Amino acid sequence: MAEVHVIGQIIGAKGFSESSLFCKWGIHTGGAWKLLSGIREGQTQVDTPQLGDMAYWAHPIDLHFATKGLQGWPRLHLQVWSQDSFGRCQLAGYGFCHVPSSPGTHSIECVTWRPLGGWREQLARAFVGGGPQLLHSDVVYSGADRYRLHTASAGTVYMELNLILRNFGRYGVEC
Amino acid sequence: MADPSWNTDTGEAVYRSRDPVRNLRLRVHLQRITSSTFLYQSATQLGDDLINLATFNPHTSASGHRRDEEEEEEVVIGWQEKLFSQFEVDLYQNESACQTPLDHQYHQEILELEASGGRKNRRIFTYTDSDRYTNLEEHFQKMTTSENEVPSFLVERMANVRRRRQDRTSREGSLLKSRIITWRPTEEFIRNNHVINTPLQTMYIMADLGPYGKLGQKNYEQVLCTLKVDSNGVITVKPDFTDNKGPYRIEMEGEKQEVWKYTIDNVSSPAQREEEEREQRVFKDLYDRHKEYLSSLVGSDFEMTIPGSLRFFVNGEVVSAQGYEYDSLYVHFQLELPDNWLSPPHQQLSGITQTCVTKSLGMDNVAYFSYPFTFEMSFFHEDASPDSLPQWPVLYFEVISLDFWQRYRIEGYGSIVLPSTPGTHTLTISTWRPVELGTVSELRRFFIGGSLELEDLSYVRIPGTFQGRRLSRFGFRTKTTGSVTFRFHCLLQSRAFLDSSLPWRKRQSVMDLMGRFSQQSSIINVMEAFQRARRRMQEARESLPQDLVSAASTTNLLASSSPRHRAFQGQGSL
Repeated sequence: MAEVHVIGQIIGAKGFSESSLFCKWGIHTGGAWKLLSGIREGQTQVDTPQLGDMAYWAHPIDLHFATKGLQGWPRLHLQVWSQDSFGRCQLAGYGFCHVPSSPGTHSIECVTWRPLGGWREQLARAFVGGGPQLLHSDVVYSGADRYRLHTASAGTVYMELNLILRNFGRYGVEC
Repeated sequence: MADPSWNTDTGEAVYRSRDPVRNLRLRVHLQRITSSTFLYQSATQLGDDLINLATFNPHTSASGHRRDEEEEEEVVIGWQEKLFSQFEVDLYQNESACQTPLDHQYHQEILELEASGGRKNRRIFTYTDSDRYTNLEEHFQKMTTSENEVPSFLVERMANVRRRRQDRTSREGSLLKSRIITWRPTEEFIRNNHVINTPLQTMYIMADLGPYGKLGQKNYEQVLCTLKVDSNGVITVKPDFTDNKGPYRIEMEGEKQEVWKYTIDNVSSPAQREEEEREQRVFKDLYDRHKEYLSSLVGSDFEMTIPGSLRFFVNGEVVSAQGYEYDSLYVHFQLELPDNWLSPPHQQLSGITQTCVTKSLGMDNVAYFSYPFTFEMSFFHEDASPDSLPQWPVLYFEVISLDFWQRYRIEGYGSIVLPSTPGTHTLTISTWRPVELGTVSELRRFFIGGSLELEDLSYVRIPGTFQGRRLSRFGFRTKTTGSVTFRFHCLLQSRAFLDSSLPWRKRQSVMDLMGRFSQQSSIINVMEAFQRARRRMQEARESLPQDLVSAASTTNLLASSSPRHRAFQGQGSL
């Protein structure tokens, strides 16, 4: 059994066309992994940037995993949403990044995308908002069916993750 | 007996202790050094006050003709132990001066003290946490020489920290969960939350340095030591204990200019060895049990590699593509495994990202993919020739644009050798695309899409069909296009890392490892060949007629006694 601590925060997001952003996040692992403590998914508050376009969340991530193998290393997936002044939420971007596999501090910039839809939907989005969302959010963290999608680039989510690994050396893993 | 090595550092010192603070014991030793007058007459007045001190040792004093009891005093004080000053004794003796319950309690205690033979301290006394003085001190402590220093808002708030501890209110986390935001904060809420709220207990060790016989005057009171303990076991002592350093010095103001010296020592009885050991055992037990619990949840095994092989894990992402001519990009990539590399059969070695419309970021148009891929590969070094250099897997990729009219254009080709060191690597690869001389093909590309394409992606590096000494691409024209950003998190796993005698950080190069693999695998080859040969021999023996077996049983015995010899024969026949 080897252990991984993931401690860090989702700092914020930048480069989205919408303001008042919030973020839903989750961590997906393979079958050999078990979450010993911590919360696997979460949602940040809505942050409205006052100056510039960077929304800061400073949302904590603190997880402790144990594993029996290297397959299925934790992967972090994000959904960035924006909330308008009427309380309506619309999707701003999907993002994905692997949890780093080397110990230490990692600053991660996770780029995001959103489904584009047809030209009618694009037009509607420009005026009244909304837009298509993924039916199954597992597309975010698996690459198998991605080619069916037509997407648009969205903003970047900034994260800071600290990794502490334990006992990997005992099993001949260099990380 | 003025000691020249005065301790002038009166800053505070911070200690941490997990033990209960009530075990804290301090020994304070106070001594007068100079005095301008002899006060013979006062001795008669104070006659009944001069009680022999329990902890007092008269022989340490070298001040000769002076009265020892007057000159120095030594008291051992426990945490929050109340020692009354002369002033307090005088004050609380008559009940009419007592107002609060605490005053009445002091009155009782003083009466009891008087009945039992008086108090043991004379000059040194204490103010405990519940005394009025500690509150006042917090409030009106001056920080500067300014004449009219007014306590700031924060000072008043901080004073509340102490007061709150006394009337402890229940503030629980459950209250916070149900309601995150308080729209109308109450006074008390503000008091509790606008400043740090670690409850702090304070104690002052004081000295009454009044002239002999005139003890009990407020203006001669001096703070010897301030002790603060918070609930986390942080003990703040100001000034620090005088262990080996010189004593502290107090110079009285006024006409007499008396000089006093004092020392503070920590005389808390240290924990017994057995107790410490028991504590350590308990902690160790706890941690062990926790570890067992965790491993019972997951299991203690871990997936290992086959001996003599190197497993290479890559968790990667296609992050973005930037700087391309057309919009709606996608990346197609595939991994090439060189000889001796294997991957699990279910593994995908290629991938296609989604089609992504770019957005402008600075000078460039970027397309964000955040496309995940995971490769797992194993390297087996089978040919034992040490000269053959192992090849590392290569990722080939092409960037393609596909626009609204389904026009398909090659935007760039590139390749990347996977990083061979473990860790995180973010790599941005520039790409090119082939061009043809003349404007026709470019016009065609612009209007109807489609352009020159490579027949084989491996042409990006060394073509698969290439055999020769020099790789020449003369005559092949290309054009620089944008770049693609990849992120790789690499992991290497091998048994060779286990028995490495080198320290972990001093990682040997992969080449060295390969060399070791070849040795290991050759040994393994021999062992396997031996097993094969042995199996074959057994099969052969079983297929033989029974009488032959019984006849040759003696030779069989011989053969099994020297299996190694037989094994090499077997290998030779393979």
